[in-house]
Order: sequence, then structure tokens, then C-alpha cells
Amino acid sequence: MTADSFLFWFLAIVTVTSGLSVILMNNPIYSALSLAMTMVGISALFITLNAFFIAGVQLIVYAGAVMVLFTMVLMLFDLKHEMQAFVKGKFTGFIKVASVGLLAGLLVGAILMSVGLFTEKTTDNPVTFGTGMEATKALGRILYTKYLLGFEALGVLLLVIAIGAVALSRSKGGTHEH
Amino acid sequence: MNHSVLMALVVLSPFVGFLINGLRYKKHSGNVAGGIATLAIAISFVSSILLVIDLIGMPSETRRIAISFFEWIAVDKLRVNAGFVVDQISAIMILIITGVGTLIHIFSIGYMHHDKGVAKYFAYLNLFIFNMLLLVLGDSLLVMFVGWEGVGLCSYLLIGFWFTDSEKAAAGMKAFITNRVGDAAFLLGMFILFMSFGTLNFHELNALAPTVAEASWMGSVTLGTLMLFIGATGKSAQIPLYVWLPDAMAGPTPVSALIHAATMVTAGVYMIVRLNPLFLAAPNTLMVIAIIGAATAVLAATIGMTQWDIKKVLAYSTVSQLGYMFLACGVGAFGAAMFHLMTHAFFKALMFLGSGSVIHAMHEEQDIRKMGALRKFLPITHITFLLGWLAIIGIPPFAGFFSKDEILAYAFHSPLGSTWLWAAGALGATLTAFYMTRLMALTFWGKSRVPAKTHPHESPVSMTLPLIVLAVLSVIGGWIGIPHVIGEHLGDVPNIWEHWLHPLIREVPNMTHMDPSTEWALMGTSVGLASISAFIAYNFYVTSLDLPKKFAESIKPIYNVIYNKYFVDEAYFAGVINPLVNVSKNLWFYFDVNFIDKCTYVIADLIKGMGNLSRSLQTGNLQQYAMYIGIGIVVVLSFVITR
Amino acid sequence: MNISIITDITLAHYLILAAVLFVIGMAGVLLRRNVIVLLMSIELMLNSVNLTFIAFSKYLGLLDGHIMVFFVMTIAAAEAAVGLALAVSIFKRFKEVNIRFFEHLKG
Repeated sequence: MTADSFLFWFLAIVTVTSGLSVILMNNPIYSALSLAMTMVGISALFITLNAFFIAGVQLIVYAGAVMVLFTMVLMLFDLKHEMQAFVKGKFTGFIKVASVGLLAGLLVGAILMSVGLFTEKTTDNPVTFGTGMEATKALGRILYTKYLLGFEALGVLLLVIAIGAVALSRSKGGTHEH
Repeated sequence: MNHSVLMALVVLSPFVGFLINGLRYKKHSGNVAGGIATLAIAISFVSSILLVIDLIGMPSETRRIAISFFEWIAVDKLRVNAGFVVDQISAIMILIITGVGTLIHIFSIGYMHHDKGVAKYFAYLNLFIFNMLLLVLGDSLLVMFVGWEGVGLCSYLLIGFWFTDSEKAAAGMKAFITNRVGDAAFLLGMFILFMSFGTLNFHELNALAPTVAEASWMGSVTLGTLMLFIGATGKSAQIPLYVWLPDAMAGPTPVSALIHAATMVTAGVYMIVRLNPLFLAAPNTLMVIAIIGAATAVLAATIGMTQWDIKKVLAYSTVSQLGYMFLACGVGAFGAAMFHLMTHAFFKALMFLGSGSVIHAMHEEQDIRKMGALRKFLPITHITFLLGWLAIIGIPPFAGFFSKDEILAYAFHSPLGSTWLWAAGALGATLTAFYMTRLMALTFWGKSRVPAKTHPHESPVSMTLPLIVLAVLSVIGGWIGIPHVIGEHLGDVPNIWEHWLHPLIREVPNMTHMDPSTEWALMGTSVGLASISAFIAYNFYVTSLDLPKKFAESIKPIYNVIYNKYFVDEAYFAGVINPLVNVSKNLWFYFDVNFIDKCTYVIADLIKGMGNLSRSLQTGNLQQYAMYIGIGIVVVLSFVITR
Repeated sequence: MNISIITDITLAHYLILAAVLFVIGMAGVLLRRNVIVLLMSIELMLNSVNLTFIAFSKYLGLLDGHIMVFFVMTIAAAEAAVGLALAVSIFKRFKEVNIRFFEHLKG
């Protein structure tokens, strides 16, 4: 077992475990912490895939900003009383679990069935864009050339979202009379 | 003035009057509403006179003012203009309609003075005049049909004018439905004529009418004209569709005078005269018309002899006189039919208005058994009614004599007529003299049977003035059509009427000139019969009052049948209406309710069930929606993978 | 059992890992009642997609996958912001953040 494969398996176990605990923990705070853990794990997985810049951004944006946001909101709510964590209804619950399981099976099956193509051709595909700063440079270049329009559009979207979020949180909550 | 402006004035001013009064239908002032309405008709009348003066000024070959305002319908071969035409026939009609109409409007101001819906009444009356003018001025059958339906509608509205009384409302409906039967046939007739001639324009139809008579019963001209005639039996109250007219007396009396005596009911006669070349090409149709006309004349007259309601008597008299006009059409005497139409419009309108005056004076009492000796209280009404009576029973030189005599002469010697038709006509005339004298005697003469609490009084000027004008017309109206045999003895008085109508009336084929002595004999016979009959009636109802009862007792079975109007209404109910109602009821119950409705219910339930099923999917539960997405992905993915 | 499955890490490994994370996130979305946890589950799903993008990017030798990850991250952040704002609204109104209050959105 090489270091690469060890690292992958280790990170895989960490992310899946923490991901499971996101949805299994009763206390939302624990869920949030587990999610942060997952984010960090995925960020590390990005490093194993030579995506250093993305890994950094993942850490900053997700593990940093988004998770802080979640935690802050949770703190703000200060949920004291117990809430039923999972939905009621055995039948729909069963269907939901079944569909999730089926989806998992299908996805894995699909990957296994089609991945033969990849293993033959691309397993040892050398990364053409190099490593380290060169890759980041290349990323920056195509981001500001080929994908400039989408980038700018996203900027507008973020502005809209920022205003919308402020407007929503300032509202009294719903159009119905209390 | 420009002809099209005049024409528009003639047609539209009653319509404008209708709009004004229709919009202020809640107003109660009879004088204002009546003033507006009368003014509208008067404008129409004056314009008509101007038009007719222009018409007279034209040379007789091209005597025709035709104006087309716009193309109304243009579908393939069917081209119909909103065209109006004033020629020799319609000129007479518009003068009668607007002239008599004006008088009746004036009369209505007095008669309807106390009514609450007076503005509505005048609005309807104006609308009627408008439609009637459309009917007579229209240059094609379709434009005529618009007016034809319009006057039917107004007739319905006015018969049921006091609709809170369910009997009167029912009378309106009866008129409307009976007319529908005729109108359907009229439509069929139009279809047939359009199919065979490709036009509905009167002028073109008459030009295209075959000159050789059609012998077959199934020929297109015979069928088409027969259908048109059935339409006419509806509108002009002939056998078998006459039943609505006596009931139509439920309406206000001026309405009875205007619509159900002078104008609307003559529309059928007018239509036949207008298409006389076409009808002449179908001798079978003419035979039917003559027989129906003669039968109606006699039958209605017999019923009229037994009625006690003053307006019912006049109504049956109208049916009978219309029968005369159809008899005239049937024997080819189209000019005489028009002549009688005009004189009848004068004297019957006069008598209806007179009866209205009597009813007004008697405080809405219509039973002649409770009248008598009214001549003392209603002198003007009495005198005018007397002149009308002389006119209708055909005493020379009053108007009715000339027209009726001409019809009888034609019936006797026209190739299309026969002695039997003349005999029926003469019998009708005799009976007419009888029941009219009876009416006069019971109403105005003899001893008073008026209940003590009623105090009859003469009507106001607005009501007596039209009576006087119409009475004068009833006297002199016939003088424009004096037959040659009399005319030459009076110093060559020409028969203006015949000359006037001549260009538009086609001669009956194989018509021979009548021997003057025969004509004198026929005149003498009819006048003599009428006089004797009138004298008997006078004896019966003035001198020896117990005689009629005894006479009725002696022929009790026949009297009962006639008194009950030959049980025609009952027969219609038993033979047509009730079976129809029963079939409809059964259809409704078994087919509609138990089949169609059930089908729809089942389908509705099915859809409701499906809706409920799919509604259970729409819970509003977001996670459930997410689950659907998940299931969708699973299904699509499994499809993609297993493909 | 072939040992190479464990030792040789191929694209398939990453893809399956991403699929598992995605399904976990989806289970969370379907089963949890707390709106905030729901949002977290969505973040998890988006992250698993990101992982797929990066894995493909490496194995295909193309940088475009990285760009997609940028975009997804931006969208995810935006979505988190709006979702949390909505959650705050719900909380203000009902003093609770149960998903069933969103049922009031139905017509």
C-alpha cells in the first residue's frame, strides 16, 4: 500500500464517517461540526488530486465562511426544546430510504460498469497543466478569459443574493397575518 | 331631399324613438314618452309621404326607388345588401304603417295614460314600427325576414305587456311559438328559392320567375312558395296556425289595432303580393292558398258569431278578413288583396280603437253582455264605429264594399277561382255582416245592461281624433279603386288603384274580361245577402232579444262546437302539444337524466378520483417532493443503465 | 480479492466516494426535519459533486473542471445565504425551524 492509496482510504473513511454523522446527529451543532470535518476531508482529497488552489478555496470558503455562517445561525436560534430529528411516517420513510439505497446502488453500479473505459485510457494520464503555481496560473488565465462571462454573471448573482438575504432576514416572516 | 336620406329617416326615426324611450323605460310620464314616440313615427310618416310623392312623379315603367346602404352578407353566391326599395306596393304599405301607426300612437297616449310602463310600451311600439318598415321596405327575402322576426318579437313583447298576469304572458308565448312554426317554414322556403334561383332579391326573383306554370307538386317553385305560404299562415293567422291571434287580444287594445289588425298580420299577404309572379308560376300553391283563405274566412266568421268578448269578436273578424285577402291571392287577385289589406287596415284599426275607447269607458270591461245602449254615452265612438261597421259589411260606397266586391268578382270568374270559392266568400261576407251587426247591437244599441256602478264617459280628444280620421278613411278609402262598371256611370271615374299597381302585378293567364251584367249581379247578391243578414242580426239582438237564445237552443250541438271554437285549441293540445311535452319529458327523464347526466357524473367522478389521487401527491411537503425527484432520478438512471 | 483495488487508486475510487457522499447528503435532505441540517446536507451533496469534477479534471487533464468547482462553490455559498435567511424568517415566525412549516407554502 503506497502513501497515496493510504491517504485516499484514510480520507475516504473520514469523509464518509463525518458525512454520515452530519445526517445522523440529533444536535444541529454536532451536524455542523461534522460537516466542517467533511469539508476539510474533501479539501485534503483535492490535494491528492493535485488541485491545490481549489483545496485552499474549499478550506476558506466552506470550512471557513459557510460553516461559520451555519454555526452563527444555529447559535442565533438557540434551539432549546427538543425537536424530532427525523421525519415521521414509516411508509414514506421506507420509500425514502429505499430510493436513496437504490440510487446509491445504481450510481456505484453505473460507475463500475463504465469505469473500465477510464481505467484503460486515463489512469496514467499525465497531468498536462503541471503542478503548483503553474496550475494556479493556468486556472486564473482561463477563468478570466474563457469563462469571463460566467464569472461576471456570478458576481452579479452574488450581489443579488446578498441583497435578497438581507431583505429576507429583515422581513417579519411570511405574508400571512399572525 | 336626397332619397337615401329620406329612406334612412323613414326607417331609422322609429328606431331612434325606440332607443330614447327604451333608455328611459322607468319614466312614468305618458305624455312625454308618447310625444317622443309619436314624433318619431310622424317624422317617418312625413318622410314616407315625400318619398311617395317623388315616386308618383316618376314615369310608371321605372317607378322604383331602390337604395342599398351597404353589403350585409357576402358568402359565395349569397349576396345580400341592406337594401330598401320603395315601389308601388311598399309605398302603400309604408303609408299605412306610418299613417295608421301615427294615429294609433296618438290614441295610445290617451289609452295608456295611467299605465306604469308607459315608456316601455312606447319603446316597444316604436321598435315594432321599425321592424315592420324593415319588413315591407326590404329588397330581399332575407331583409324581410329580419323584419318578419322583429315584428314577431315585438308582438310577443306587447301581447305579454302586462306580463304579471300569467294568462296574458301565456298568450304572448303562444303567439311567439305558433309564429316560430311558420317562420321555420318561411326559412325553408327561402332555402328552396335560393337553391333554385340563386338569389333572394325580390326584383331578381320576380324577373326569374318562370312564365310557364309549374304543374308538379314537387317542383321547386311550388315547394318554395308553399313553404313561404306556411310562413304566412303563421304570421297572418290562417288555418292551421290562426289560434294565436284571438289570444293575442290580451295585449293593450291599441296594440291589437296596430299589430293584430292593421299591419303585422297582413305581412303574409304583402309577401305573397310582392312575389306574385312567382306564385302565379305555381298554380298548385295558389289553389292551396285560395282554399285555406276561403276556409279561414268562413270558419273564423262562424266563431266570431258566438263570442262575447268585444275584442275576441274583432279578432275573429280579423282572421276572417285575412282569409279574404288570401282568397284573393289564391285566385290571382293580388291587386284586390292589397286593396282589401288597405281598407281593412283602416276600418279594422278604427274598430279596434273604437273598442279600446269602449273598454276605456267601461273601466276595462270587455264583455258585450254587460254593455248596450252606449251610443248615448259615447257619441263620437258610436258614429265612427258605425262607419267602420258599414265599411266591413260591404255597404256601398264605404271602403269595404269595393275591396270585398273585387275579391268576390275575381273568385267567381278568374281561371284560378271557382263558384265554390265565390260561394264561400259570399257566405263569409254574410256571416261577417251578422256578427258585426250583433256586435254593434249589443254594444251601442238596444237596452243598457251596464252595471249600475260603472259610469261610461266619452274618451279624451287624443283618443277620439284618431277615430275620426280613421272613420273618414274608412269611408273614402275605397274610392281610389272604383271598378269600371260603376266608374263609367259616375262620369268615367278611373280605377286609380289598378293603374298604380299594374306594373308590378302579373296578369293571371287566360284571364277573360268579365261581363258587366255578371259583375252587377255579383255585387247585388253580396250587398243583398249582407243587408239581409244584418237585418236578421238587428232583429235578433235589438228587437227580440230572446230569439238568439232559442235559436242557439235549437241547434245546441252545433252551437256548442262553434262556441268552443271548434275545439281547435283542445285538439292541438291533445294531438300535438301534449304528445310533444310527454315525449320531451320522457326524453328528459330517461335519456337526459338517466343516461347523459349519468355519463357525465361517472366521468366527473372518475376525474375527481384521479384528481384526488394526484392531489395526495401534492402535500406541500418539500421532502416528499425531493423524494419524487429522487425516485425520478432512480427511474431514469435505471433506464439509461439497462438500455 | 484483488489487492490492486485497494492499492491502485483509480478514478473509480473517487467517483464512488463522491457517489456515497452524495447519497448520504440526499438521505439527509429526505429524512431530516431541521431546515439547517437540510441545508447542510445540500452542501454535502454539492461538495460530492465538486469532488467528481476535480477527479475528472485530473484524469482528463483539463482545467475546466476546476472552473466548474468555482462556480458550484459560489452557487453553494449563495444558496446557503438565501436558505439561512429563509430559515431565519421561519424561525422568527414560528420560533422553530421544522421543515413542516414550509408546508404553508402550498397553495
